[in-house]
Parts: sequence; structure tokens; C-alpha cells
Amino acid sequence: MSIALLLTVGGLTTTGLYLITARSLSRIILGFSLLGHAAVLSLLIAGGSPRAAPIAGTAEQMSNPVPQALALTAIVISFGLTLFLLALAGRQQTLSGDDLVEDDLEDGRIANAQSSEEDL
Amino acid sequence: MIPVLLAAHLAGIVGASVAGYRSARAGLLVASIPPAITTIWALGQLNSAPQQAFYELHWVQGLGLSLRFSVDELALLMTILVSGIGVLVFFYSTGYFGSTAGPDARFPSSLLAFSGSMLGLVWADSVWTLFIFWEFTSITSFLLVGYKHVEDSVRIAARRALMITGAGGLSLLAGLLLLVRESNTTILDQISPATGTVGTVAAVLVLIGAATKSAQVPFHVWLPGAMAAPTPVSAYLHSATMVKAGVFLMAVMGPIFANAAVWKTVGAACGIASMLWGGIGALRHRDAKLMLAWGTVSQLGLLVTLFAIGSPKAVFAGIALLLAHALFKATLFLVVGEIDIRTGTRDIAELGGLWRAMPLTCAVATAAGLSMAGAPPLLGFMAKEAALEAVLGLAGAEQLVFSCAVILGSVLTVAYTTRFLITVFGPGPATVVSPPRLAMTAPAAVLSIAGIAGYIFVAAPNRLVSNAAIELNAAATYSLIAWPGLKTAFVVSLAILLVGSLLGLAISRQRVRPTPGSQGADWADAAIDGILTVAPSLTARIQHGSLPVYVVTMTAMAALATIPFLSEIPYLQLDLWNSLIEPFLAIVIVGSAIAGTFVGSRLGAALALGAVGLGMSALFVSYGAPDLALTQLLVETIIVVAFVLGLGRLRQSFPPVDTTWKAARIVIAGAGGIGVTLAIAAASTSPTGTPPLADVSEQAVEEGGGKNLVNVILTDLRALDTLGEVVVLATVAIGILALARINQTEVA
Repeated sequence: MSIALLLTVGGLTTTGLYLITARSLSRIILGFSLLGHAAVLSLLIAGGSPRAAPIAGTAEQMSNPVPQALALTAIVISFGLTLFLLALAGRQQTLSGDDLVEDDLEDGRIANAQSSEEDL
Repeated sequence: MIPVLLAAHLAGIVGASVAGYRSARAGLLVASIPPAITTIWALGQLNSAPQQAFYELHWVQGLGLSLRFSVDELALLMTILVSGIGVLVFFYSTGYFGSTAGPDARFPSSLLAFSGSMLGLVWADSVWTLFIFWEFTSITSFLLVGYKHVEDSVRIAARRALMITGAGGLSLLAGLLLLVRESNTTILDQISPATGTVGTVAAVLVLIGAATKSAQVPFHVWLPGAMAAPTPVSAYLHSATMVKAGVFLMAVMGPIFANAAVWKTVGAACGIASMLWGGIGALRHRDAKLMLAWGTVSQLGLLVTLFAIGSPKAVFAGIALLLAHALFKATLFLVVGEIDIRTGTRDIAELGGLWRAMPLTCAVATAAGLSMAGAPPLLGFMAKEAALEAVLGLAGAEQLVFSCAVILGSVLTVAYTTRFLITVFGPGPATVVSPPRLAMTAPAAVLSIAGIAGYIFVAAPNRLVSNAAIELNAAATYSLIAWPGLKTAFVVSLAILLVGSLLGLAISRQRVRPTPGSQGADWADAAIDGILTVAPSLTARIQHGSLPVYVVTMTAMAALATIPFLSEIPYLQLDLWNSLIEPFLAIVIVGSAIAGTFVGSRLGAALALGAVGLGMSALFVSYGAPDLALTQLLVETIIVVAFVLGLGRLRQSFPPVDTTWKAARIVIAGAGGIGVTLAIAAASTSPTGTPPLADVSEQAVEEGGGKNLVNVILTDLRALDTLGEVVVLATVAIGILALARINQTEVA
């Protein structure tokens, strides 16, 4: 198995994870895209070594078509997710003037209830 | 028949709720139908040849997850007790709540839910079934203890009962899981005897479960509190049936833990402590109901001791006592409930003289009390006799310890029985304020007479008890003896009766002191309050609402989970690259990704993302995946365009990064990246099979009529998945449209 590809997966995952822990939604979108790439590449690597394109009757040794079909699905779904998140970021921008992900209100209420001992 | 009976209970719960909305009495009568059917069925099983009813409802077969029931002899005995006493208690409740009681759906349906749960528990034949119904009984008990929930003290008592029995349930689950892991089966009958350290740990865990349920020292504190429940509940759950679940568990598990020494020592220590402390408690309290409750702790202690000893004779005596205790203790509770209703008090300082006002009730209570004390000619006598013979028949130090404990416990039993009967029915000032209620007297009388009839027609209880005992221990071929003659045990028995009744007389002549508070209960409540303080502060710490922190926490945990992969990777089989273009593309992709991560402007980041996508496309080409390359190219183009379009709304540059977090984020992200790399390296170097290329090719050409395998898989062989994908994209499109519209209206 190719170390170059493994490192590519590692690099994409690291940058992706770093970005999705950001506060800015557009950075999170970038992170999701990079993680999507890492996932697709992982699927391909797990399917076996690279060979000729999986076209019936053209070669003795073909790449495994099943992970490719899965990867194709993954690409399309992460495409949809990215576009949807972009639309969310645009809406957040319009409503609040920036695209920051705020702390969850309900969770914050639980934390506050503990400190103030009033609610709950 | 088992599923029918369980379904009847479920239907009965609904029916009792509906009828209860009209009147409590109607609800109670409807609720008594399923136990009545069950009792009749169980009595019918007695007469037929010994055959075990069995039923299994599979859920996940490979994991042994199923609801599995089997009605063996012990379960049959318990069924008759649970359902038989159940019918009487439902009937009694109609008198307890009176004809003027308003609608009440909650009481009849929860009481029936308990009855059904208890049946499921005694019929259970797999550890999962046992555990689920065990917990059901805890929950229904909580609902019933908390019936008068408007009072603070009642809620506290209910909470205490739930927390203690619930914690015991978790301990039981842990013990059962250990047993399942050791013997590789979830079926109770097939679990092999536990040995070694695992056996010891499992024995202690199961014992804790049994001790919490059967109110054994030091977990007994919930039972006196549970007396806050209406008296029918106390009679049914907290004396006759539910508290027997722990004893039942010990009977069933006894053969499995026969080799674990700790089962006997810890179990017997618990049992003896409860037997003596419960007896003392019954002598100290002045509430008649609490006297009985402490007496129950004591009696359960004797039962636990007998099953912990586990010798054939002890098992036989245990089952005989289980039957006798259910009959006499339920009777006494029912009597106390009647006295409470008719005189308006349960305080023995205000009671007394009731033999004149309530002669029938007095007779019923006396018969049951004598059975509890172990006096002839009653069922309790034969059971106590068997218990004495069992402990006197032991050898060496065991004989000394167990005999002394049981004799002392029995003296206390006789003493508190005497005190109960004298202070309630003997000379005293009590005045009856309300007319007799037949619905309350009759069920108590039936149970009391059963105790007498069990002595006269000894063959009937003997069949129940000896069959169940033989099933648990093949050597337990004993029978109940009505008149033993002048044997050691009988002489000891007479001595116990004499000493105990004198002690009881002496104590009941003393002035009644104020009821002592229960320190144990206070400690238990303090512990529960502690949990309730710690839990929210812990939640507030973990669940504080910051998305980045959640992601970081999960990533860190996932990265830790990949550490084992380090040893799974065949490092020497790794190549540097498959083709020379790979390292070049890897540098382009990772370099662009890093640039996109740290660049300050949004446009720059979008372009970097596009570069990563193009690099990926090229990589797909080199990997023999032209379809992926084409799709990626198309998708990447659209995303970059969309980003640039969307940027029109967003600001040019990202908001500044919080630097205090930055280092931590980089470290955790790096750990996550390394973890994923390790996992993929391990997974890709250990394939579990070869891809079915020939099959897929043939299928694609013949069935799909195409040669591009990836295309045929997506559009033909897995067409439904692709349809689902199209639906996802359509949903996304609708969502984006909606979001965009909101923007327009807001702007307008």
C-alpha cells in the first residue's frame, strides 16, 4: 500500500478536522469538503491497489469497481452537503451580520441552571 | 399460552385504565381478570403431567437477543402466588378505596402492570428477559409507592426505593453479563457453574442485585419507606411478591454459584444481619404497618440465608418458607389495612381491644400470626420446622453459626408476632369508627385459611414445594411433615415459641416509646441528593453548548480508539508510492489543503479548495477510476462557482481566529489525522477477501447491458441507492431554495 496516499488521507483529515472546529461557518464548509475528499480516498485505498479502469473486457486486471461506486455516491452527497451549508452560511450572514456558529442556547441554559440554581 | 397471558395483561392495563376513568372499582375489577385467568391456567398445569410451557420471541438471533420464557415448577409456584394473591389484592382494593372513591385509572393499571412484570420475571429463561422484567418491577413499584405523590415524604420514599433497587438492577446486569461472557450463552438453564475470580465477582454482583430487591441489610432502608404506598400495594409488592424476586433470583442462581465460596459467606452474612436487625426493628416500631415491614426484612433474611446455604434441605425449607411467608404476611398486611380504614390509626398506642369489635378479623390475623411465629397446626410451622432441621443438620462451625442465628431470629419473630397481636387485638382503647367491609375481610380470610388448609391437606403444598425443590437440587427429595414427633428440631421449636412469646409479652407491656427515626434512610437520601447535585454540574461541564469543543472531544476519543491499529499494520509491506505521479499529487493536494486552512481571505480559501479537487481528480485518473475523476471535476467546478457567488454576501476575509484555542485544535486535528491514517493503513493491508470482479463483470454485461462496471452498478445493480441519492439532492435543492428566499424577504 502506498505511503504517499496514506499521508494524503492523513493530511486531508488533519486540515479538515482543524477547519470544522472553527467558529466561522465558511471555514467549517471547507473542512467538510476536505474530510469528504479524505473519505473518498480512504474508500479507494481500502478497495485495493490501482489497476486499469473497470471496463468489462478491456483488461485482465481491473480496479475494484465497488468502492468506486461507493466513492461516487460519497462525492455527490458531500457536494450536496457543501452547497446546503453554503446556503446556511449566507442566511446566517444576512440574519446576524456574520457567519459564526454560536453556542447552543438550550445547552447553555442547562449550564446556567446549574450555576444559578433557579431553573430546572 | 404464555404469550396469550402476557398479552392479556397488556390488554388488561389498557382496559383497567379505560374502566378506571369511570370508577376506581370498575378499573380494579377489570384489572383482576388477567391474574384470575393466569391463576386458573397455573392450577390446571398442576394437575396435568409435568410439562414445561415454553415461548420464545426472537429479535436478533445471532446475539441471543430474544424474549424467552419457560414455566418450570418453581415458576409455577411463583405464578400461583403472584396471580392468586393478585386477584385477592385487586378485590381487597375495591374495599380499601371504598364505594365512594372517585375515578382512578392510575392505581389499577399500575398494579396490573406490576403483576404482569412479575410474571415475566419468574417465567424468564434468558438473562435479558430476566433483567428487563426485573427492571419493570422496580419501575412499577416506584409508581405504586409514589401513588400519593402530593406528599413530599411519599416522593422521597419512592425515589429512595427506585434508586436503591435500580442501582441493584445495574449490578445484577453486570453480573449477568460476566456469566454470559464466561459460558457463551444467554439462556439461564444453560449457564455453566461460575468458577475462579470471574465467578466470585459475578456472585457478589448478583448478590447485590438480590439484596437490594429483597431489602437486605445494608440495602433494607427502602422497604420501611415503601410503606408510604397504599396498603394493598404493601401487601402485594412489598411482602408477598416483588421483594421475593431477590430470593427467587438466589434460588435460580444457586446452582450456578455453588462453587463460589463468596456466594455462601456474603449471602449468609447479609441474610443473618437482616434476620436479626429486621427482628429488632419490628420490636422497636409502633406503627403496625412498619412492624410488619421490619418483620418482612427479617423473614427475607431467613430466606436469603437458606438459599445462600444451598444444601438440599435448606433449598427445600427455603421454598416452603417462601410459600408460607407469602400467605401469612399478605394476610397480616391486609388486616392492618382494614384496621387502618376502620379505626383511622395504625399506631399501637391508640390500638387495642379490637378482638371484641372485629372478631373475624382478629381470628384471621391470629391464624396468620401463629403461622408467622411457626406454631402448629399451620403451614408456617412445617416450613419453620424444615428450616430448623436444615440448619441443625449442618456440620461443624456452620451448624453452630447458622443454628444460633436462625434460632435467635425465630425467637425475635415470635416476639414481634406476639407484640403485634397483643397490642392490636389485646386490651386497649381503640374504637371502630366505620362499618365492616366484606371486600376487605374476605381476601385476608381466604389467605389465612389457605395457611390452615395447607397444614391439614398437606399433600397440596407438598407437591408444589417438593417439585420445585427437586428441580433446583436433585437431592432435595424431602416432604413437608405435619407432625414430626419429639425430634430435636421440634423441641427447639417449642422452646423458641415459649421464649419468644414471653419476650414479646414483656415488651408489649412496656410503655410505647416514640418511633425511632431511620438513620440508614437519611444516609441513603443524602447519597441520592449528592447524585442529584453532582449530575447537573457534570452535565453542565460536558454539555456546555460549544460545537467546536464537542468536535474536539469526539475527535480526541476517536483518535485514542485507533491506537490498537499500531500493532496491526505490516509496516514492511508498505510501498512509498504506486506510481511516480502519486507523491507529486499528494504534495499538491495536501499543500493546497494547508494553504486553504490558513489563508485569511475567503476567495483564497475557495480557490485552494478547487486546487485540492483538481488534484483529487488527477489522483483518480492514476487510480484507474475515470468516472470518479469526471464527477469530481464537475462537482469541484460547481462548488467553486457557488462559493464565489455566495461570497458576494459574505465578507472578504474570515473573522480572526481565537488564538488561545489554536494550539489545542491543531494537536487534536493532528491526532485525528494520524488515527485515520493508521486505521486505513491497517484496513487496506488486511483484506478479508478478493473482490468478485468476474461476477460483477458478467452480471454487468448480461443484466445491465453495459461494460462500464461503475456506471452499471450505480444505474442498474444498485439503482435504488442511486434513486435515494437523487432524492437527497432534490431535498438539498429545495432546502437551498427555501434558505435563499428567507434571505430575500429579510432584505426586502
